[in-house]
Amino acid sequence: MMIELNKVNKYYHNGQNSYHVLHDIALAVDQGELLAIIGESGSGKSTLINIVGFLDEDFSGEYFYQGQPIHSMTRSQFSRLRNKNVGFVFQNFKLIRDASVAENVELPLLYAGYSHRKVRDRVTEVLQKVGLAGYEDQLPQNMSGGQQQRVSIARAIVANPHFLIADEPTGALDSETSQEIMNLFKKLNQAGTTIIMVTHDPRVAAQCERVVKIIDGRIVSDSGRKEDNHGDQ
Amino acid sequence: MGISELLRTAFRSLRANRKRSFLTIIGILIGIAAVITILGIGNGITKTMYDQFGNHSKTGEQTTEIFFASTNDSTVNGFNQEDIDNLKRQFAGQFKSVRIEHETANLNQTAMVGMTNKRISVSLLRSPTKDIKLVAGHQPTRAQYSAGKPVAMMKEAVAKKQYGTAQNALGTTVEVGKTTYRVVGVYHNQAAYTLEGGANKFGVDLLLPKQLYYQGSSATSGNTIKLIFDQGQHASKVSSRVAKYLKKNGSAASKGLYQYEDMEKELKQFAFQMKIITSFISFIAAISLFIAGIGVMNMMYISVSERTQEIGIRLAVGATPGNIMMQFLIEAVVLTVTGGLLGFLCGAGLAHLIAPLMAHAIGNGVHLHAHVTIGSFLLAFGTSASVGLIFGILPARQAANKNLIDILR
Repeated sequence: MMIELNKVNKYYHNGQNSYHVLHDIALAVDQGELLAIIGESGSGKSTLINIVGFLDEDFSGEYFYQGQPIHSMTRSQFSRLRNKNVGFVFQNFKLIRDASVAENVELPLLYAGYSHRKVRDRVTEVLQKVGLAGYEDQLPQNMSGGQQQRVSIARAIVANPHFLIADEPTGALDSETSQEIMNLFKKLNQAGTTIIMVTHDPRVAAQCERVVKIIDGRIVSDSGRKEDNHGDQ
Repeated sequence: MGISELLRTAFRSLRANRKRSFLTIIGILIGIAAVITILGIGNGITKTMYDQFGNHSKTGEQTTEIFFASTNDSTVNGFNQEDIDNLKRQFAGQFKSVRIEHETANLNQTAMVGMTNKRISVSLLRSPTKDIKLVAGHQPTRAQYSAGKPVAMMKEAVAKKQYGTAQNALGTTVEVGKTTYRVVGVYHNQAAYTLEGGANKFGVDLLLPKQLYYQGSSATSGNTIKLIFDQGQHASKVSSRVAKYLKKNGSAASKGLYQYEDMEKELKQFAFQMKIITSFISFIAAISLFIAGIGVMNMMYISVSERTQEIGIRLAVGATPGNIMMQFLIEAVVLTVTGGLLGFLCGAGLAHLIAPLMAHAIGNGVHLHAHVTIGSFLLAFGTSASVGLIFGILPARQAANKNLIDILR
């Protein structure tokens, strides 16, 4: 198993109140899966995906990544883990506004220690892959939503991560553009990239081979788990 | 992330906020410029002192001068050959050599111009000069100078006052000392002081041939002696003792005063005053830099809160908190170092402008040049960089400690 979560609990503290957001989550994801996590807003699906993607190190329980326990790592170690293993695609793209497309895409490589000059070819290559060949020097703010999401996908895959985390990747796009982005994800998945996405669009979820449903911080159904151990919760 | 990538990012974000960056830079610029200016002038004074009087003077020699000023009769000479011989005997080994210095510039004399007796200023020439412009007539030839012919040139203002026009003055005579000179040329008026602040040799009323002016007994007597010392000899101390000796034993001791003008002492006094001014201005500059530093801090805090999203994105794609802190710290340092280097240039320029004006104010023919050293440059660089580091560290830490989940939510 690539990703294995065991009895993961998450609390948010707000003054004296504390909210129990995730209850004893157990989730295992294998290499090459295309997994959708669905649920109402506020159900905790984004919180879960942040933990899976090493964005949130503040949780209780166990998280084994490729057999390694990572629940006790430091903040800097999480940064390195993110940089080497995971690419992110966000609902609102999260591109740096005053930096060009190429400068946005190359960021993960720069933080991995490569120099600006060495990564140029790789940037051109991934832009080609997402269908944005020749857009290197454009500014993201001059591009359409679909194009911006492609840039952010290019940034997510540029460092050859082991898996992609996509939080509502089609949430800000119309249905036609959504489908284009989904096709891109499916193409990447067929080429071997593991993808975990959060969505509340049933059409998007329907195209994923495994769907996990969350209600009020609990996993209530898991299509990929039906055939084997049922009572695992 | 390499340093070149960090610098690129820093420059990009500073360019994105041009006005804000510029205003922040100005504070640093003023502080650094003030320090560099005052240091440049201060170093210039020190250097002038050493070049002229110090043990590290350029020629390896130090020279001092002792003047004689007669109390009433201007024809009395303060020094003759006997005085020189006496000094050599009395102060044997304490100086290298001594000789009578024939002044050639700005001598004060009485002269008969036409029919009137006047006090005038005179400079002496050995050959034709390019430093004056003639209004009428011509300059004496080289041959006339070396043969000691009694020819003179007159200032335009004097000629006009005496004869109405410059042309009329040609062919008239002036009597200086016991010699009668014929006026062959009239030249344009010049200022009494040069741009460097010294007395202008060509600002005088008459220009006479040196060969003729100092002849006969006046060749072996004069009103100035020059003492030359080797390195390491106590020029100032010995010179004042020589002056004291002359006051008692000089050939004209009863008819006037022997004076040793201690330039070194004057400059030392001035240097001391400069030190006070320097520390005062440095103090003000330190306050200015402190305020500028607060400006930098303010700007960086604004920048950090404006770019929260960017920080989140960078953290998400694998920047460590250390990377983020470094990015903002470098941005602050780039800002202040830019101000520091511009301030250095302004300060160096200002020092070179002010030094001559100051020399003029001191007078006495002191020449001052600003001296901006590598040390000043390093000081400007170091100070501005540390202001950036000191005042950038808190905003940078705030940026690094931002909660990623809160940003991305």
